[in-house]
Amino acid sequence: MTPERLAAKRDLLRAVLDTLVPAGDGFPESGALALDHLLAIAGASAEAGSLLARALDAVETAARADAARGFAGLSVARREDLLRAVERLHPEAFDALVRHTYDGFYSHPATIARLGLEPGPVQPRGHRIEPAALPDLARVAARGPIFRRA
Amino acid sequence: MATDDRSDVLVIGAGASGAAVAWRLAGAGIGVVCLEQGDWVNPSAYPHWRADWELHRHTDWSAEPNVRRLTQDYPVNDQASPISPLMYNAVGGSTIHWSAHFPRFRPSDFRVKSLDGVADDWPIDYATLEPYFDLNDRMMGVAGITGDPAYPPKSPRQTAPIPLDTLGLTIARGFERLGWHWWPSDSAILTRDYDGRRACVNCGPCDLGCPIGAKASTDITYWPKALAAGARLVTRARVREITLGPDGLADGAIYYDGDGRERAQKARAVVLAANGIGTPRLLLNSRSARFPDGLANRSGLVGRNLMFHPYAMARGVFDRPLGGHRGPIGCSIISQEFYETDLARGFVRGYSFQVARGLSPIASANGGSVGDRVPWGGEHRRAYAERFDRTITVAIIGEDLPETDNRVDLDPTLTDSHGIPAPRVSYQLSENSRRMLDHGIARAREVLLAAGAREVAFNPLLRAGGWHLMGTARMGRDPATSVVDAEGRCHDVPNLYIVDGSVMVTCAGVNPTSTIQAVALHVADGMIRRRA
Repeated sequence: MTPERLAAKRDLLRAVLDTLVPAGDGFPESGALALDHLLAIAGASAEAGSLLARALDAVETAARADAARGFAGLSVARREDLLRAVERLHPEAFDALVRHTYDGFYSHPATIARLGLEPGPVQPRGHRIEPAALPDLARVAARGPIFRRA
Repeated sequence: MATDDRSDVLVIGAGASGAAVAWRLAGAGIGVVCLEQGDWVNPSAYPHWRADWELHRHTDWSAEPNVRRLTQDYPVNDQASPISPLMYNAVGGSTIHWSAHFPRFRPSDFRVKSLDGVADDWPIDYATLEPYFDLNDRMMGVAGITGDPAYPPKSPRQTAPIPLDTLGLTIARGFERLGWHWWPSDSAILTRDYDGRRACVNCGPCDLGCPIGAKASTDITYWPKALAAGARLVTRARVREITLGPDGLADGAIYYDGDGRERAQKARAVVLAANGIGTPRLLLNSRSARFPDGLANRSGLVGRNLMFHPYAMARGVFDRPLGGHRGPIGCSIISQEFYETDLARGFVRGYSFQVARGLSPIASANGGSVGDRVPWGGEHRRAYAERFDRTITVAIIGEDLPETDNRVDLDPTLTDSHGIPAPRVSYQLSENSRRMLDHGIARAREVLLAAGAREVAFNPLLRAGGWHLMGTARMGRDPATSVVDAEGRCHDVPNLYIVDGSVMVTCAGVNPTSTIQAVALHVADGMIRRRA
């Protein structure tokens, strides 16, 4: 499946992503944050694109057999059941789908900020570590040499 | 074929050991040319300057050449190995990517046969290397603190230890409660400005390189000084084979330059510094009528006795934030409580614990080095929240023993982009190593629980853990059972030297870079002495 074909299924993909990483605790659903990443990955790597397409095709086929309204029309519980069935039948493709979903979701600035971290590059700002005294190493040092002299 | 001006010494590879030997030789007035298949890494190219920095860990900045697939990389067939070899091809080599652990081998590590009746003794010892350890420490810049009873006294460290922070202090309490050895890691990462380099700002992902030069990589430590002393470094130069003169001595190498043209570099001596896989690959690709089984391979040991450090990983989950995203990712604390042989444990030799920092956001979701991905679906939010910034990972780094069936040879079909046969790795984890790692997992669980973890998960063998490539051109006195002598000279070709991890007779239970570089400096001084 080409990236264009994958993009044509973006509504289905979004619904799948929302099921993989649902909203909650102030975090949005992953369909809102990870969708563009998945489409970009599919465009950048034929191998990744093929795996994602295979996963999505399997979801689509299973959903069609389940309900006329398709995946998005299913209850959350039924969506999860369906995805677990796809995971069992297509483990490699589903693994790629989850991995890239997590990659996209947990690299998004909105997620980073919600996690309490500062979004953006880690340089040049780095992180401040409050100065603290080293724990007392006296007990360890007092053991004397623990190496064998050779 | 174009032929370059003859040099005194040709060094192949500009990484940890190649840089050290080039600097030492150039400083003694010896003409040095180094051929490096990679290029300089521009500090502005590091992913740290980009908001999506973490995504690059599994793509173009992966430590695995088979994942990264950059033009300067060569493929490695690792299908017959449970551990994937890791490396980086650039000026600085794998020190670009390393976490900068800087422990030394211990005195017993050089006397394994005499003390424990396994493997072999090295033909050199700790005392021989000690001045080179010190010299190398000054060149690389080491954060740490003296007084560790796991070692003979060391010279003062260049800077104070890297901060332990909440995470390190937490696990330190676990070691204290158990009465076990622990010590702040010796790390080649500066905690204050040193030798023209900046102090670490604790940004975290050292494994993606260090864009400010606080972490030592030889492109910023040895190479500027080597070039100032007159060494010449040719990048994007991929060596195909080492050539021999009519006298049977090495007389240079044939390589492809950055434009793909075949060139010859002549030299009076050749030094191989291409890592424990690249070096045997090059020797095996340098066949001739005189050496039909590969150059310097009359012993049949080139490529054999491959040692990784097999890693097992244990990860504890705690009930409070640990600030694990702050500070150098790989380093905080080392423990060598179970380092020396105690046969009551069920294995010979031993291992170290290394405590890493916490997991970044994506790594937290995907399980990091333990690999237990946070479940998707309705449970995801809760499970992720319980894990993020609440984990401590303890790495168990075990001493691998040399076995001839663990080896590097040439793949019959796989090649690099120049058509040069690629290496193939065959490796099996030994029963001794398995028992050692299992012991380590159980003890790591103890210390994590003692530190307050409420649950512990583990990975019994880290696949993406082949950072250390050793043993494939071993050092020894007997030409029948070794490839190089005590001064790094090939028994079969006395003006051909090897200085990378290939020469290691045994691999100890700690990271090898400090010892590899000390050996390289020792070999360089032998070359200088013989010239004088």
